[in-house]
Amino acid sequence: MIKALFFGPVADRVQTREMDIEYTDGMTLHDITHKVGMLHPGALSIVSFIAVNQEQVHDKQTALNDNDEIAFMAKFSGG
Amino acid sequence: MTDPVRIQQEDFSQDAEIAALKASSKRMGGIATFLGCARDFSEGRDVSQISFEAYGSMALAEMRKLREEAISKFDLLDARIVHRVTTVQAGDNIVFIAAGAAHRAAAFDACRWMIDELKQRVPIWKKEVTPEGESWVTQHP
Repeated sequence: MIKALFFGPVADRVQTREMDIEYTDGMTLHDITHKVGMLHPGALSIVSFIAVNQEQVHDKQTALNDNDEIAFMAKFSGG
Repeated sequence: MTDPVRIQQEDFSQDAEIAALKASSKRMGGIATFLGCARDFSEGRDVSQISFEAYGSMALAEMRKLREEAISKFDLLDARIVHRVTTVQAGDNIVFIAAGAAHRAAAFDACRWMIDELKQRVPIWKKEVTPEGESWVTQHP
């Protein structure tokens, strides 16, 4: 299972903080972003950063493993 | 001794943070600090509260990296970063950064660099509560 996490303004648009997505062999980050985009297009439009297991990832072709944690994040505004 | 990098709900003591920084080395000749606090006005609106949300595990890891990088880049003797993640009122403390170096120039430069990098790199979001409703802050300079 892949765990998708949503924070702040993205969580507001998705209306949840967490979503479990069935893992299949050969799955890439693109597959997950596509799925989230189909379900919540308004949320994806404000996503500026994606992290896989707490590390920012820019390549959508990144291969995923079972139990990976994918975070969808808007621009940061701490401090 | 508290951890030099923390995310916490409760307020922090600047005196305690500076004392901990000073305790790390007697070669420290300059300490620069930054205190970020909550304003009651933003983008032309009154702000009654600010609430923070973080991707805790990633935010803490990124803050630790940031401190290590600052120590190495500016030849610091020590540095501390504390960020509150809770709901604060106007005037309340939000973030504290301290940089200790042999001389003042490195301390000033490192302190400025750390808060600027924190705003760009650390997954924390703030939501302002105003009389017109709540809104997520995109980014302040």
